[in-house]
Amino acid sequence: MSLSQNVPNAGAPAFGPAPVSGATPATRKKEFSPERMAKFHDYAEEYPNKRSALMMTLRLAEEEFGSVTDEGIEIVAELCNMPVAHVLGMVTFYTHYKRPFHGKHRFMVCATLMCALEGNTDAALDQIQAKLGIGPGEKTADGLFSCEKVECLADCDKPPVVQKDNEHFCSMRGAVLDKYIASLLNKEGKVESDYAGKPAVAMDTRVPTIPAHFNFTGESETGARKTENKDPYWQAGQGDLTTKVPAPLATPLTVPVADGVNGGRKPSSNGHKKGGH
Amino acid sequence: MADATPPAGGAAAAPASAPAPEPKPKVPFSPILLKHINEPGSHTIAHYQARGGYETAKAHIGVTDPGALIKLVDESGLRGRGGAGFPTGKKWSFLAKGTGKPIYLAVNGDESEPGTFKDRYILEKDPHQLVEGVILTCFAIGSKHAFIYLRGEFILGFERLEAAVQEAKAKGFVGKQIFGKDLELTITVVRGAGAYICGEETGMLSSIEGGRGYPKIKPPFPAVSGLFKCPTIVNNVETISAVTHIVKNGAAWHKQWGTEKSPGFKIFCLSGAVKKPGVYEVPLGITMREMIDGYGGGMKDGKKLKAVIPGGLSAPVLTAEMVDKCTLDYESLASLGSMLGSGGITVLDESVDMISAIYNTMRFYHHESCGQCTPCREGTGWLEKVAHRFHHDEGHEGDVELLADIAKNMRGRTICVLADAAAMPMQSYLQHFKGDFLAKVKETPFVEKKRTYRDEISPTAKKLSATGAGPSAMDVGSAEKQ
Repeated sequence: MSLSQNVPNAGAPAFGPAPVSGATPATRKKEFSPERMAKFHDYAEEYPNKRSALMMTLRLAEEEFGSVTDEGIEIVAELCNMPVAHVLGMVTFYTHYKRPFHGKHRFMVCATLMCALEGNTDAALDQIQAKLGIGPGEKTADGLFSCEKVECLADCDKPPVVQKDNEHFCSMRGAVLDKYIASLLNKEGKVESDYAGKPAVAMDTRVPTIPAHFNFTGESETGARKTENKDPYWQAGQGDLTTKVPAPLATPLTVPVADGVNGGRKPSSNGHKKGGH
Repeated sequence: MADATPPAGGAAAAPASAPAPEPKPKVPFSPILLKHINEPGSHTIAHYQARGGYETAKAHIGVTDPGALIKLVDESGLRGRGGAGFPTGKKWSFLAKGTGKPIYLAVNGDESEPGTFKDRYILEKDPHQLVEGVILTCFAIGSKHAFIYLRGEFILGFERLEAAVQEAKAKGFVGKQIFGKDLELTITVVRGAGAYICGEETGMLSSIEGGRGYPKIKPPFPAVSGLFKCPTIVNNVETISAVTHIVKNGAAWHKQWGTEKSPGFKIFCLSGAVKKPGVYEVPLGITMREMIDGYGGGMKDGKKLKAVIPGGLSAPVLTAEMVDKCTLDYESLASLGSMLGSGGITVLDESVDMISAIYNTMRFYHHESCGQCTPCREGTGWLEKVAHRFHHDEGHEGDVELLADIAKNMRGRTICVLADAAAMPMQSYLQHFKGDFLAKVKETPFVEKKRTYRDEISPTAKKLSATGAGPSAMDVGSAEKQ
């Protein structure tokens, strides 16, 4: 069973394009809007290579789709001519990109020492829990609000610091936070009783596996790999940048063993032999 | 442009130039980098030019010998404000020459050290002095392309800096043929996405190159092979902003403040249990007491001072007795076994439980370790787990020695200094607050599985496993409430 089948609330499309048939899932939006494409070309022109425009291009994907979705990752990979795996690695390494599992309104509460002193972080978290019924790592059942504990947001003199998507707030507790949550609820046409005390959903932060059929950009079946990760000032005569799969060793390091021996995967007809020999 | 100042109102109007008791140095000092931050419109080019902005660059670009500029900065004794305190002029002179490759300037505005928020003020309130500093620095080192890397959380700072670069471009200060001379300069502003490790210089370079923010092994140092394998100078936002003022006023002007080995002025970020937390720009060498009692207005609610973290979360902690002896310069703090670091001073009062403080600190470093080197990836995790035990009064006998042993074995064994940054506070807490640890050692034999780490750290995992979906990846979002 693939991991994506395990994921609750996982939408219909698994990661990557549809297999074999090559048909594009109906939900896939192929391109950025023209304005964002223009912005991407600006970046690509300014940076020495396309790979280095990744950080900013991911921000474009975030703006375009509301979060860095799987299709956003694919588009960014195509634009920057990098393997999807690399882009996925970036998205999961950095904590700040908004992902589909986050709520529409993503609360980030600083939990690092300076904010946590005098119970400021807990106060903010408790208030969010009371008003929206979500604790850290959870989102409301309708996916509108989510809450996270994050590390330092660099405004340590005015704790607690809270960030809501791309908005930054300091001294965010008590009446100020209540008023802000009320304004958000009002904007969404909701009332406090829709959430307070209602069960929340855990945010599932796992990433689906990349299907084996997915052909990485520039990567052929033989494993030869060409990426944009080249030294832009590479000069002729320094050798090709393509990494070739090394030829098999003339003398194998290990003597091939029969099936079922030494951890061979296929069960042998003789049953499982422990330890071999 | 929407000002993302909090609804808390006026909170951003930091008491930067608070009427504090007159500092002791021979020469009176008033803020330089932060002088204009409370004036409306201080981030615009009109405001900056009205107070003589870009005149320095105009006078020097294409006129002065770049070598003379490097010499000037070297003579001024300016030291890197990012944390390590390396002399800036010396760093510039290490630049590899004659490689035929372009030279880059990478300005570090990641400012991820907890307790530090000085660059935020420069970027949001007065970004043009940084842009001018970049222009001057690029001319001095012969660079045609500068990258300014900001952390993802600096949303307003990013908008304002981008706007500032565009304004400078429109005026012909950045771009092709700057100041009418046959010189070009591109400034690229990059926005990060929330990773402490990108504040490390090579980690930042990896991030600009479009990868995970993995630090690279040194040598080769960035000055020889940095961004895109080209010679690169990496400096902090505050350092580059100070260059503007040093070039304008001269090396002797800069040296009139501070101590012999730490000349000049620096922005300190005061947080924690003081009456007036905020950013304060002061000459180096003032006493810590002056900072806390003078500028900070003394302890909040009349509580007693217990400890001070002097240079961002990674700096070894100072006890109250050490605070009395401490002056704010690189040497004094080094002699006390700590460091000036990025200038983020956090004051802890007597009500703070040092064990919960160290647990919080360790959780931070465990979360932020990039995972490249085993001693750091595993070591920070172990430190956090053992600190977690203490935090819940369940320390085992021998845990104090275990913590000391882990910390000792982390230091100096990794590519970057994150492992040291995690081990140093632990070692200092163990040294100065050993009693607090020992008091939390459980007297009765430890009962296993009474409270497992995973259950607490990740309620998400529990819920998901209840729905049959298996355990979740551990993330800070679901971290246990402390």
